[in-house]
Amino acid sequence: MILAGIVYFAVCALVVLLGAVGVVASRDPIRSAVSLLASILGVAGLYLKLSAEFLAAIQVIVYAGAVVVLFVFVIMLLGPDAGSRVEPSRARPSRVVGAVVAAAVALAAVLLLLPRDHGLTSFGEVPAGFGGIEAVGGHLFTRALLPFELATALLIAAVVGAIALSRGRGVIPKAPPPPVNPTARMFGGPVHPRDAGRPLGEEGMR
Amino acid sequence: MDALLHRLEVLLPADEFTLLAVILLMPLLGAFVNGVFGRRLGDQAVSLMGLASIAISFAGSVVAFALLAFAANAAGSGESGHAAAATTFVWRGWEWLTLSARAGYSVPVEVAFSIDPLSAAMALVVTGVGLLIHLYSTKYMEGDPGYYRFFSYLNLFIFSMLVLVLGKNLVMVFIGWEGVGLCSYLLIGFWFEDGANAAAGKKAFITNRVGDFGLIVAMAMLVYYVGSLDFGTIAANRSLLLQDLSYWPPWNRLPLLDWMQTQSDWSVLSTVHGWVTTPWHASVATIVALALFLGCVGKSAQIPLYVWLPDAMAGPTPVSALIHAATMVTAGVYLVCRMAPVFALSPFAMFVVAFVGVSTAVFAASIALVQNDIKKVLAYSTISQLGFMFLGVGVGAFAAGFFHVVTHAFFKACLFLGAGSVIHAMHARIHATDAAQDLRNLGGLRRFMPHTHWTFLASVLAIAGFPLTAGFFSKDEILYRAWTSHLAVPVPDGKIPGTTVTMTGWPAWGPSVLFWLGVAAAVLTAFYMGRLYLGIFWGEFRGWRIVRRFRPRAAGHHDGASGAPGAPLEGPMPRESPLAMTVPLMVLGALALVGGFLNPHQLAVLIPGFHFAPVDDFLAPVFATAQSFGEVAIITHTEAGSVLAALAVGISVVAALAGLGIAYFIYAMRGGTPARELAERVPWLHRILLNRYWIDEVYQEVPIGTVDTLASAAVWVDRWLVDGVIAGISSGVVRVAGTVLRLFQTGRVQVYATAMVIGVAGVGWFFALPHAAARAFGDDDTGRYSLTAAPGLGYGYRWDADGDGAWDSDGFGQVRDVRFTLERERSRTVRLEVENAFGLRSMRRFEFTRPKVSRARPAAGRNTVIEIDEAGGARTVTLPDGRKIELEAPSPAEEGAR
Amino acid sequence: MIVFGDAAEHFVLVAAALFTIGAVGFLVRRNVLVQLMSIELMLNAANLALVSYNRLHATEMTGHVFAFFVIAVAAAEASVGLAIALTFYRLRSSVYSDEADTLRH
Repeated sequence: MILAGIVYFAVCALVVLLGAVGVVASRDPIRSAVSLLASILGVAGLYLKLSAEFLAAIQVIVYAGAVVVLFVFVIMLLGPDAGSRVEPSRARPSRVVGAVVAAAVALAAVLLLLPRDHGLTSFGEVPAGFGGIEAVGGHLFTRALLPFELATALLIAAVVGAIALSRGRGVIPKAPPPPVNPTARMFGGPVHPRDAGRPLGEEGMR
Repeated sequence: MDALLHRLEVLLPADEFTLLAVILLMPLLGAFVNGVFGRRLGDQAVSLMGLASIAISFAGSVVAFALLAFAANAAGSGESGHAAAATTFVWRGWEWLTLSARAGYSVPVEVAFSIDPLSAAMALVVTGVGLLIHLYSTKYMEGDPGYYRFFSYLNLFIFSMLVLVLGKNLVMVFIGWEGVGLCSYLLIGFWFEDGANAAAGKKAFITNRVGDFGLIVAMAMLVYYVGSLDFGTIAANRSLLLQDLSYWPPWNRLPLLDWMQTQSDWSVLSTVHGWVTTPWHASVATIVALALFLGCVGKSAQIPLYVWLPDAMAGPTPVSALIHAATMVTAGVYLVCRMAPVFALSPFAMFVVAFVGVSTAVFAASIALVQNDIKKVLAYSTISQLGFMFLGVGVGAFAAGFFHVVTHAFFKACLFLGAGSVIHAMHARIHATDAAQDLRNLGGLRRFMPHTHWTFLASVLAIAGFPLTAGFFSKDEILYRAWTSHLAVPVPDGKIPGTTVTMTGWPAWGPSVLFWLGVAAAVLTAFYMGRLYLGIFWGEFRGWRIVRRFRPRAAGHHDGASGAPGAPLEGPMPRESPLAMTVPLMVLGALALVGGFLNPHQLAVLIPGFHFAPVDDFLAPVFATAQSFGEVAIITHTEAGSVLAALAVGISVVAALAGLGIAYFIYAMRGGTPARELAERVPWLHRILLNRYWIDEVYQEVPIGTVDTLASAAVWVDRWLVDGVIAGISSGVVRVAGTVLRLFQTGRVQVYATAMVIGVAGVGWFFALPHAAARAFGDDDTGRYSLTAAPGLGYGYRWDADGDGAWDSDGFGQVRDVRFTLERERSRTVRLEVENAFGLRSMRRFEFTRPKVSRARPAAGRNTVIEIDEAGGARTVTLPDGRKIELEAPSPAEEGAR
Repeated sequence: MIVFGDAAEHFVLVAAALFTIGAVGFLVRRNVLVQLMSIELMLNAANLALVSYNRLHATEMTGHVFAFFVIAVAAAEASVGLAIALTFYRLRSSVYSDEADTLRH
């Protein structure tokens, strides 16, 4: 029984982390999306291990069922342009710094979380009904009612915003380069507008 | 008729005379409708709107006038029930604002209007002449793209002029005053596409500002000294104006003058100091009257502010007739009449008014002698006639001066409209404005334009003072009164009560100087008007060669004078103007001939014992206050009918006939040759007059040049100090900061994200480490100290509060405060250790020492606390500033008492 | 005895690793879609940490409720973010975030 718990945790953690690496490392976005799905399902598994049954269900329904599908849908919309080509790998300082910082954060987290003078923190016994739909719902509809309603407003705003954004009104061309005025170039100063584009005659040379 | 007036009297009570609102608001309505909707309404509707609003206003004025005359008659005949008949009808709108005057009095300013004989007569002139000129304009301005704009401005002008005339207090008058100035500006620059016209409008406006300064000063002084701006109240309380006012020196103390006073070595300096600091006195009445007169000088174009009026001829001719001849420019005369009680208090100010008036009359008439532009001649003539009006009111003949306003409105409006008719006819061929009104291009027009000719002739005779015309009666009355009037100082001994300041009286040489200058102006007037008339209507037509059945070439309307210079012009006969233009001419011309019989004083010379002067009688109640002050009769003059009067009338008749005769001799009989010969013989005189004494040039150089120089200096400061240094520094700072910050604005999301990650990592690092921080509170007097540790995420605390080097508890708790007490001169080290959720710890020491003597000093301003330290027997007192004082040891008795 | 997978530290370590992978992915990848997925990873990491700590203090449900709201916000964010990605693609024919540099010029 204990062994089963250990294996379950190890598998879930492995799926989560490998999926995450897959998201970041895949060249093809569709692979990233599938890896994201795996990672999310792994997180749902960890929720179950933490006795958060309701959240695990929400995780699967909302993330796996909606968000990942949305990603896949957009990737389909964009078609082959969605970025299967090789990203030009110009080594930007920001990327190096970002990687270094991320690694440092990870290292610091590990160092901080290493047990000091006391051992690991154990979860206690699970109270009855912890993490169930009744407990979470009770909290949600009593103490967190206002944020809950605000969340609905947020979702409505997001839907409207998404529709407004993706309606699209044509392609905005890149701004053309400013016209070069040969007269202005030659004399190095602003000239009267009527001189713009006028060929340099005898008058201009004077 | 009487029954009707009775009913109207009931309908319109004297203290709630709402008819004034109708009279006032109709032109405003016209201005609004024409201005806002005029473009869409079309020219027909615009002219109808403009005419109708003025016509209603005119009708209202007639009714008001009739009611006033009726009330005056009733009062005169002593009919019961009318014994106290008002000579003033009032309509109060609302209280507009409150000014604060001397000694905390508040002066309410009402939007209120009143009509008395003076303003009724003026309102009749304004609306009546205004109506005729509106009618005239419907044809004169026909086809102008700004037709609706013109009528809107013209209606607005009538409204402003009525506000000026009917205002019950000086503030209302001032609003109207500025309103007519604005309309004048708008109408002078009506054809603003030509820069010269716009410049002329600006010149008029700015010159008037100089005068308005005086008007505002006068209003401020009246608020200060009389505590009211209402005409009735001012007249009733005018004795308050007989105070001493030391107007020089205007400063309290100048360092330079103090220094000059001390220089006893140099007598020059102390002499100068004496001159400069000697106080100058005058009565308040004199200063107020002169300040008011400055406003009148600006508005009525007198020396030295007359320069705008000739340029104002740039506006359309009906505007010149209405605003710059008949109504607006006479506002100054009206104001002097209105404020007559104040002016009469100061013979000196009155003499200034009269003298400036007569000087302007001669001066402007001399310029008018040689001008070739017919509108310029008329403009200088207007200035000159306004001078006559000021001469009249200045010698105390307010009714005569005002009567000249009325007759002048008739004949000068007629002259201007006649000139407009001529210009209108000339425009059939000559499209250059200046050439079309140049005397040298006119001539012989009496054959082509008979109506214009006869009305013009009538007005010329009137302005020249030909016997029995309107101008004869009004002008001769002024001249006669100038000769015979005397103004007395209104205070006994000529001293302002309670002071030793003498008021300047009427100079003994005054009457004769004023009279003879006036006669000279009359001769000049008759002469130049004769020249103008003969030049326009007699002789040969010089405008172009007349071709029968002339058809303009295909080049169209504007092929005339804009062609080659000197090329001979051909064209049709000049034609008489349409009926809408000649009817006003005829009405005004007829009035110019017979209008004088409204006030025919001079007939007394012919018919002994004759007395018929309706205008004088009608206006008499208005000027009654001004005639005397208390027991003193201020304005006196020799009665008409005497030998002197006959002499005066004779002299002015001779003057008029002489002027006209000389003009006829020179221009009709000799074709202008004698004048040319004279100009050749005395070229300097001709040049001076032709160039208008170079007054405009002098003004351009001296006052305007000074302002220009100042402006250039200000521009330099603005450009190099404000823009260059101050703006340069700030823009430089912004530029440098922007250059630096731009480096961070790469536009790449990853860079921003990296910066965010670094920031988040920093914050996380800070929170991951524990910080043992605490804030100490302490009072050295009581020795109580406390320490409060800063909170943190997941922190536990443990203390070493007693300073013994060992922790008070082994584990970490949630106690964040410790308190303890220290004896004097004792120290303690408190330690605090913090452990956070990660098990990291941090420790810090806090040193506390209680000093021997409190370091706390009472703050300045609070109750002084003196520290007394009795340690060691000697008593030492420490004062708040730190000094220590040894007290003597207490005596045994005191010790025992304690 | 505490076994593997039964201590708060283990879950928090997994969450930290997940967050780090997400952050690095957001920084190094320039495909907008992948960047959005990386954001989802980071949000999941935060949720995992919240739920773990809630398990530690089992008398309260605050952590679960908070995670619930995070999921809601993440859904909204994904929809708007994908709409932006679509619009961006329509404007620039590209899904690479470093081409969104109009403001730079």
